Amino acid sequence: MQGDRQAFGRLVERHYDFVHAVAWRWSGNASDAEDIAQDVCLRLGAAIRGFRGSSRFRTWLYTLTLNAARDHKRRQLRDDRQMQAYASEQAVAAPAADPDEEQREALWAAVRALPEKQCDAVLLVYAEGLSHQAAADVLGCSEATISWHVHEARKRLKTLLGKEAV
Amino acid sequence: MSDDFEKLGRMNPPKASAEARARALAVAMQSFDEAEKSSNTTQGSAHPVRQSSIFNRIWSPIMNRKLLAGSALATLLVVPAAAFLTLELTRNGAPFAESAQEIALKDEGKKEEARPKPEPQAAARKMAADERARQQEAKTADALASGSVEGEAAAPAAQADAMANSVARDSAAPMSAVDGAQPQMTYLPAPTVQEDLVAAPPENRERFGKAESNPVKSVATDPVSTFSVDVDTASYAFVRRSLMEGQMPERDAVRVEEMVNYFPYDWPRPVSATEPFKATVTVMPTPWNGGTRLMHVAIKGYDVVPAQAPKANLVFLIDVSGSMDEPDKLPLLKSAFRLLVEKLKPEDTVSIVTYAGNAGTVLEPTDVKDKAKILAAIDTLQPGGSTAGAQGIDAAYGLAEKAFVKGGVNRVMLATDGDFNVGPSSDEDLKRLIEEKRKSGIFLSVLGFGRGNYNDALMQTIAQNGNGTAAYIDTLAEAQKTLVEEAGSSLFPIAKDVKLQVEFNPAAIAEYRLIGYETRALKREDFNNDKVDAGDIGSGHSVTAIYEVTPVGSPAVLNDKLRYAEAQKPAAEASPHGGELAFLKIRYKKPDGDTSELMTTPVTEANAVPALGEASGDVRFSVAVAAFGQKLSGVSALSDYGYDAVIDLASGAKGADPFGYRGEFVNLVRLAKGLGGSRN
Repeated sequence: MQGDRQAFGRLVERHYDFVHAVAWRWSGNASDAEDIAQDVCLRLGAAIRGFRGSSRFRTWLYTLTLNAARDHKRRQLRDDRQMQAYASEQAVAAPAADPDEEQREALWAAVRALPEKQCDAVLLVYAEGLSHQAAADVLGCSEATISWHVHEARKRLKTLLGKEAV
Repeated sequence: MSDDFEKLGRMNPPKASAEARARALAVAMQSFDEAEKSSNTTQGSAHPVRQSSIFNRIWSPIMNRKLLAGSALATLLVVPAAAFLTLELTRNGAPFAESAQEIALKDEGKKEEARPKPEPQAAARKMAADERARQQEAKTADALASGSVEGEAAAPAAQADAMANSVARDSAAPMSAVDGAQPQMTYLPAPTVQEDLVAAPPENRERFGKAESNPVKSVATDPVSTFSVDVDTASYAFVRRSLMEGQMPERDAVRVEEMVNYFPYDWPRPVSATEPFKATVTVMPTPWNGGTRLMHVAIKGYDVVPAQAPKANLVFLIDVSGSMDEPDKLPLLKSAFRLLVEKLKPEDTVSIVTYAGNAGTVLEPTDVKDKAKILAAIDTLQPGGSTAGAQGIDAAYGLAEKAFVKGGVNRVMLATDGDFNVGPSSDEDLKRLIEEKRKSGIFLSVLGFGRGNYNDALMQTIAQNGNGTAAYIDTLAEAQKTLVEEAGSSLFPIAKDVKLQVEFNPAAIAEYRLIGYETRALKREDFNNDKVDAGDIGSGHSVTAIYEVTPVGSPAVLNDKLRYAEAQKPAAEASPHGGELAFLKIRYKKPDGDTSELMTTPVTEANAVPALGEASGDVRFSVAVAAFGQKLSGVSALSDYGYDAVIDLASGAKGADPFGYRGEFVNLVRLAKGLGGSRN
């Protein structure tokens, strides 16, 4: 039992940075990322025994983290107040260093404003560098669905970012 | 865009702070232990609550909501404060939604990693007093300001009220007075208006390609204007529909050239098929600007006499997805195709492919003399499922190849209400596929139906790439116009890749502006490049392009003269083409040809009429349509030209109008005038 506990401790320690990075990509904000990561740790502790090993641990971790990020976002959205606080926090956050960074930030913001599924698909594929198949495993859908979400996201972003739609 | 996406990968997340990391790990271990304990007792118990200790139940939301991140004390202060406020609420009965969370902002000691200690009575009282004072001032802005000053505290504080809300309920027991206030607590989290920041409003998912109106160009720097012809009419039908429904059309939905080309004009015709079309140029004063002139270029295609019409092989690719289940979609589409079938010759063939959840062939290539079979097949179409457009297109091209008529018309007619929304195809892939098939001789036309989901940009793109037309069908009358009266034009191309290039003479013209054709602009060098695709002209089609030109020396010239350009062109007067205003060049390919031919026409003062009234009725009417289109798309040059003037111009030029199209146009302008007061 004690061995399990230590193993779990090492496991969490090893993956914490990964979870934090994912959480940061989804939330775009350091303090939210910490909250989400912590939430994931909490869930992990409760759920690790239920992990069947039928999927890769990373995949499972993605699922947990994405769910936590989603819950976090919903909690934020519930409260208009919260948004204002969030906005001012964003303003306080260090301004982008160079124009390239700034442009990337804009793209990020646009991606995060996409519908949930599309946002998840785009981030998994482009920010996390997963294949469509792997992303499909994480989101529990078919590969074609991922492709479609990415495709839709592309179209939508073109509109959002005011590019000429082709 | 994909390049942009690649950038996402280059965002490096910041390192998590050691503190947060340690805390998270502790939480993980704690929850691991908790889970172990409960797993020792029972697995999946019937107990309805979450399996965690009471400590965990209170503690974990705190952990989640970042209160621990430096503000445990804030939480503690909020609990009694919230209780106090609830009390206040019950007494005053006034819901002051702004109040609760500000309390946390006032808290100075939030940074402390404090354990729960029952000391905050005094603080709560202080804050409540504070709160009341503020309530009297009713200054909510103040609250916001303090929110941003205290920067980091803002988020936790805002959450604190949600927290307070739930915790207050837990700890409400000792405060029986609170009972009645419980429902009022729901005022605290402000109602959310957040959604529309995150997602676009769902009710209108129509999409239009964005294109700014063509700018005024200076002849000195850009003497040449190049564009591809456009015989689509979708934009006019869409505008009409919007106006009929009492809405000004979206600016992006207005393509002036498509509105102008919607109407049949009786431009001078070419005499034989060897000369596929004829261009007529008229120069006249601009009705909306005294200082400029309009250069009106009208092109009429040769009319293929039905007896000469080549054999046609048509594939109807019909969207039967669930969204088509509306009276103005599938039923209208069926009627439209029935009309078209009636129009075809007995030896033509028709096949039908539907696409919904998956694509299916409804009718193998069938001769039109078997009309009953075709009509029966059309009648069986039922809506249902989502859309697999790419698959459908493949199937349709398959059938078109099967029944391919060499030297005849091979065309896929795509009917849809919007989107090819399932499948891995991006717009670019689809474009490429259609382009490939076009090279093999199978063209594609698009018929758009319905509203709310219409993807105009995609429709236009695929029609352009498929050497076809995009038409928008909103009524049976429109179906009649597109598929029956103009069947020849949309079915039998007489020239393809038709490009126009106009070179202005800097000695006569100072500036010009092409009206419409924004989405059809070509690069100057593309004109002579036969590999560059352009629009097609069908049998009997007419194409109209209008330039607003500013003569040299006119007071309406916008650009200043170039200071250093004078020295370079001393010979302008002596040029042999001195009397010309501009030079019009048209390049086209025969429908089956690969190399282009060139037609040229100089434009001189002989083409000019001194007053607008002396131009032909068709010219004046097309100018009225162009003016209307520009007003709808918000071109600033026409802001002083009212709808009334458009109405006068159009009604004075209605002519015979056998189908009533022009009368309908005048009514539309009246509608727009009534609707668009704000836009003049």
